[in-house]
Amino acid sequence: MAYAIIRGAGLERYYAERTELPPRPEPLRERWESVDPEHLDDGSCEIRLAIDGLRCASCVWVTENVLERTDGIRRVQVSYATGRASIRWDPGQLDLGEIAGRIASLGYRPRLLGSEARPDRSLLTRLGVAAFAAANVMMFSAAIYAGWLGSMEPAYLTLFRWASLVLATPVALWSAAPFFEGAWTGLRNRILHMDVPIAIAIGVLYVQGVAGTLAGFDTYLDSLTMLVTLLLAGRVLESGGRRRAAEAAVTLAATVPGTARRIVGDSLEVVASESLLPGDRVAVGAGEDLPADGVIVAGRGLLQRALLTGESAPVTVQENDEVWAGTLLVDGAVTVEVSVAVEGTVIQQMAEQLRQAADRGTRPSSTDRIAPWFTAATLGVALLTFLVWLPLAGGAKALTTTIAVLIVACPCALALSKPLTAAAGLGAAARRGLLFRSADALLDTAAVDTVVLDKTGTVTEGAVDIVAAADQDLRVAAGLERYSRHPIAVAIVRETVARGIPLPASSDVREEAGVGMEGRVDGALWRIRSGGADLVILEGEGGYRGLIRVGDRVREDSRSAVAALQDLGMRVTLLSGDDPEPTRRIAEALGIEETMPNTSPAAKAERIEGWRAEGRTVLFAGDGLNDGPALAAANVAVAMGSGAASSILTADAVLGVPSVGPLAAGVRVSRVCRSAIRANQARSIAYNVLAVSAAAVGLVNPLVAAVLMPLSSGMVLAGAGRVERRVRALERSGPEKTGS
Amino acid sequence: MIAITFLIPIAVGIALVFLVLFLGAVRSGQFDDLDDPAERILHDD
Repeated sequence: MAYAIIRGAGLERYYAERTELPPRPEPLRERWESVDPEHLDDGSCEIRLAIDGLRCASCVWVTENVLERTDGIRRVQVSYATGRASIRWDPGQLDLGEIAGRIASLGYRPRLLGSEARPDRSLLTRLGVAAFAAANVMMFSAAIYAGWLGSMEPAYLTLFRWASLVLATPVALWSAAPFFEGAWTGLRNRILHMDVPIAIAIGVLYVQGVAGTLAGFDTYLDSLTMLVTLLLAGRVLESGGRRRAAEAAVTLAATVPGTARRIVGDSLEVVASESLLPGDRVAVGAGEDLPADGVIVAGRGLLQRALLTGESAPVTVQENDEVWAGTLLVDGAVTVEVSVAVEGTVIQQMAEQLRQAADRGTRPSSTDRIAPWFTAATLGVALLTFLVWLPLAGGAKALTTTIAVLIVACPCALALSKPLTAAAGLGAAARRGLLFRSADALLDTAAVDTVVLDKTGTVTEGAVDIVAAADQDLRVAAGLERYSRHPIAVAIVRETVARGIPLPASSDVREEAGVGMEGRVDGALWRIRSGGADLVILEGEGGYRGLIRVGDRVREDSRSAVAALQDLGMRVTLLSGDDPEPTRRIAEALGIEETMPNTSPAAKAERIEGWRAEGRTVLFAGDGLNDGPALAAANVAVAMGSGAASSILTADAVLGVPSVGPLAAGVRVSRVCRSAIRANQARSIAYNVLAVSAAAVGLVNPLVAAVLMPLSSGMVLAGAGRVERRVRALERSGPEKTGS
Repeated sequence: MIAITFLIPIAVGIALVFLVLFLGAVRSGQFDDLDDPAERILHDD
């Protein structure tokens, strides 16, 4: 709204340039006050904002927690995947400007949806500077450590230390700033997360480095630069897996035509679909998408409702039938009386559900849950070390030992274990055809025990195909159907050509949209009519009746894919909006026992929620826009790469190939990753216990730290590198049934 | 050993050149989107 006004006044450049300035609270307030949020029935307001600068799951957690504790805010949902927040508040207690200010005070940048996001390049810049400094400081340190063995003139030792300090300073003060900011934000809101122990270690390392350089004792600046480099690399990896998806609803809305032909008196006028009001009449011709929900008042035609039902076979519609915006009139011509304004259309409601699906909250990872304990333990051990050493060896020794404890306690390996392993896992899954949107989605898949497959377009090819027909019937039918563009007609002609039957000549062919065809083939009169969703009836002179069964063809590898999932211990269910008979036929062909035919989009979601309430973890694979609610309800939502754009945008993972085969591979990769992360967490905690113990008894010096720290991170890296190999081992050992 | 006094600036200077090149690449947006360009060839439009 505000954006439209600003753009209308040609002022967008002003904002584009103004954001370069440091934030000033006053003009920001004014900008938010002109925004018109959605007013709900209970008196509260709701708005969706984009929030830039959410770096990690903890940031989401912090934002949600802080906002939730603010008086007047009723509900907050922040999505890490999309960087969007949905906020509901009481306008009597605070205004949007105050909410935006609160978010800004946490260090994030709220903005109205629609204003363009600038990609965050600062993380990469910080990483570049840190890596540059780390490489050079390590070079100097190697010289210093070599000097321990031989003899180094004190002047050169001082030179190397000063050079290290000069290079380490921008790393500690600028590159590491995100960790300090994160820790500070957390502390201010009384939330301890992983940034706190990291910030303590970096701070202590740097202060000790400055003091050591000035006073002439050994410093740990090489460890400092390397730690910051590794941690920033982990952050970059973590944010790289997450793609800033365009809003799914935008794509959905795009399937509704922008304009409609409104009937005014005896003529037609072209108007924007958005301006249609209940009672308006619009004309829709063959091949056009419907611009609004309504009722047919004149004409008849064939309506393809795949958008709503997912079933590709069109149905006949006539007077008094209800039709929906976004569905396709394959053939015929109708006049539709609009029944609801644009906001009330089924497709808009679906868009809203998709938005909520994209906003599914992120919970803090297991690493974040460990953080408070970890921080408390580190600080406790440090304090104990100081108190024990103080009477034994005096203040100076007690202080250096305590510093060593704080330094080696840096949870570098712990913080790296998830991003590194997940990055390896995302790659391994992608090579097998399953593209996960985020690390969280990948790791969630490990717990899946129930797989729900959509029928049309997922396990089947989604196109109408001839299942059974006699050659002579097909030949006659093709003679008539060659003039029609009905999908079944197209399939009949295609099958006839595929069987090598020459198309017969026909005459007097007449098509009655939605009813059937009539005409002469080889001089005799023939009629074709529909006998239900999967049957075409051919009627000839003298009471001849031929049947052509149509249906959906099962993808070649669907059976082996289902078998592979069942071998992994999954309960596989086939869901469909289709009738029981074709659903059962396909389930039988696939070896699936449980089917749920005649399931509406809402019922699919309800069923999945029911299973989740029973404590099951559900993976749903579907392709249509109508699968939105089901995709949202499932723990792990998988969309077909060839499916509707909005289902791809909201899904946790996308199948890169037209097959459900990669699902089993994805589950395997996920299981390997989860166990690898657990092992890494256990190892890095074991390392920390060992290293902190060694430091507490005074065994750690800069060289030991410089060797130990990369060793622990290297361990994590090696664990991540083994993901691919372990997945392959699992694939070889797993009993794989084939479809034969 | 006096050589070290100008070898250090030379080493740091060379590394600095690469840092500047990297930062230039970041600033010109080469790292903004590492996924989509590779897939763009697969899209119809």
